[in-house]
Amino acid sequence: MGLSTDYVLCFLQKMFPSILKQLIRNRTVIKQSYSSFKDVSTNGTSITQILKNEIIPLNTDENKKLANDTEEKLPTTKDPGEASVELSETDRVRALNQSTVRDYSGVYPYIRQGSIFASSINDSDFLKELLKLGVNFYKLEKNLESIPFIQGLRFEDVKDHIILLKELGLETHAIGNVITNNPFILKEDLEDLNVRVNYLQYKKFTNAMIARIIEKNPNWLSQSTQEIDNKLGFFQSNFNLSGDEVRLLAVSCPRLVTWELEKVKLNIFVLKEEMGLLPEEMKKVILKKPKIFLNGQHRLLKTFDYLHNTMKIAIETIVETPEILTCRQTRLMQRHMFLEKLGRVQYNPKKPNYVALTTLVSGTDSHFATEVAKSSVAAYNEFLKSL
Amino acid sequence: MVAPNSSALWNALKGIVCVYKPPETSVRKLRTQLILKICASLNEADENQFYRPFKPYTSSTTELIQKSVDRSIDLKEHPLVYGPKFDELDLPVSWSNYLGWNTSGVLLFGLRSGTQFAKYIRENRSTRAYRIKGVFGQATDNGFKNGKVIERSTWRHIKHFQFDRILSSMQAAHQKKMFEMCGVDMQSQLAYELAAQGPIRPVNSKIPIVYGIKCVEYEGPGFTLEIQCINEYESYLVELIQEIGIRLHSTAHCTGIKCIRHSYFTLDHALLSKHWDINNVLKNLNMCNSILEENEHVLKQKSIALR
Repeated sequence: MGLSTDYVLCFLQKMFPSILKQLIRNRTVIKQSYSSFKDVSTNGTSITQILKNEIIPLNTDENKKLANDTEEKLPTTKDPGEASVELSETDRVRALNQSTVRDYSGVYPYIRQGSIFASSINDSDFLKELLKLGVNFYKLEKNLESIPFIQGLRFEDVKDHIILLKELGLETHAIGNVITNNPFILKEDLEDLNVRVNYLQYKKFTNAMIARIIEKNPNWLSQSTQEIDNKLGFFQSNFNLSGDEVRLLAVSCPRLVTWELEKVKLNIFVLKEEMGLLPEEMKKVILKKPKIFLNGQHRLLKTFDYLHNTMKIAIETIVETPEILTCRQTRLMQRHMFLEKLGRVQYNPKKPNYVALTTLVSGTDSHFATEVAKSSVAAYNEFLKSL
Repeated sequence: MVAPNSSALWNALKGIVCVYKPPETSVRKLRTQLILKICASLNEADENQFYRPFKPYTSSTTELIQKSVDRSIDLKEHPLVYGPKFDELDLPVSWSNYLGWNTSGVLLFGLRSGTQFAKYIRENRSTRAYRIKGVFGQATDNGFKNGKVIERSTWRHIKHFQFDRILSSMQAAHQKKMFEMCGVDMQSQLAYELAAQGPIRPVNSKIPIVYGIKCVEYEGPGFTLEIQCINEYESYLVELIQEIGIRLHSTAHCTGIKCIRHSYFTLDHALLSKHWDINNVLKNLNMCNSILEENEHVLKQKSIALR
């Protein structure tokens, strides 16, 4: 043999990896005695040793005898039973790879929102009654917990709840809206609901006020009187509100009272520490525009930062018109820069060509471009594309 | 006026839309916004067509709903049960060029079967033009204006002609590199023939190549560059500005990147996000599709040399 076997092997490995692979594959089929490479290496023979045995008979006829010897030798090192198991394993894997059967156990068909109630609405009289109230089943289905809850109810269970809501002065479609947004109000005990309503009456809320509170905030009645009392107390003590002012706050923005307290505290921190508002100013802001406490703290701070540091608007002015704090910073920036480009920036009410901050923020773009900036919508759109 | 048929509008919604991307938003967010706005306006058209009375809740709505429940045979189709007709998941949208967080400008979206066109445009690697604003004298840690200032330097020694000289040398270096990568001598007939067929494109989509770079405005420390390039990305352009600053013995950072052209689509075609309702989108879609029909090589290049 002219070339050493090592050299041949190396050459094959480098140049024809596919041939080498084919050889290895043939080996597993023809020589049943071999198991995986790992087992062989633990027995002391390396992979190259096996390959050598493999390649030699293919390359040279002279070494056939030698190869036959090794062939005979190697089965003795293995337990025949183990080898047959190994083969069946490889066969199984191959069969799996070749078959078109796939594992679909983790895959489910896509169920469209609204389709669960749609499948049962024609058969159920209760669901039909709810539909007549104006319950939006599509929205209801967004909360997955509510689906089995509503389907497990009967009309007799919830009749009194609906009558109670009706007696509070809510219109029929408003009741539907309450159930859509908070279906678990039907889960509450009827006495609890009466106690909660009585609490509000005890706190001198009129019937119209209570109706408005429940209509605007369906989650209100799901909270216990203790929780509501604590939250009203929190706003009263933090902003130094009188009884009438607390009632005004609860009616003007009922959602704020049941809002997550941590988020409200963060917004209070932004107003108090980062903007530096005085307690009286805070009170003014919350009574005039309670909605800004519902927004995220970063958004609030960004808007304030732009108003105060770039547009140079005094804090007193911002407190007088707190609705500008609800505007997004990008919108404020676009409009301010457009006015700046036209040379119309004048936020001082004592000077001519004064631009009121409320008109700057509110209104559509066309209204702003023609009425406030005295320009055209096309020019404003062109400007927006140049940002 | 006849109310538009929402199904017909939906069927027409196939192709490329050219939108304007404002700075400081991500393309992914813009995509969800576009889908939501298109679906909302489609659903509005659908409701106007069939269920107009349900929309503003008044006391008469209650009666209407009750009547509709009593009258209808199959309640599955009732708008309060089935919900809006067009779901956000039904509308496939993909982008054909990705603009970074700070970049603004022309962005192409493929809608429904137009996602294929978006893919072809992306894989075809067409040239894009950018307008980049920068400022000499300050270097920031991320190279953009929102970063921390880490270095200050003088800039008054930079004259306009020096600036132009550096830019033209950079442009020439890029062009020369392209011919070298083709394996063609710059002085040969072959190089001329290659150049006559248009810009030579890199094979790999990861190699940024600048074809033209010039200064359109230079006042004080601020300057504006116009760049034509292929395969660029935001950080590459930011680094380019930093490099220009260093080559001029100063420092520079970027204050704004705007894509003003993407193959044949310019800022004039781009649709602002406040105009993303179904009528404007369809108008824009038709315009973009006619541009694609006129210039088929945007989708597929025939010449091998250009690849």
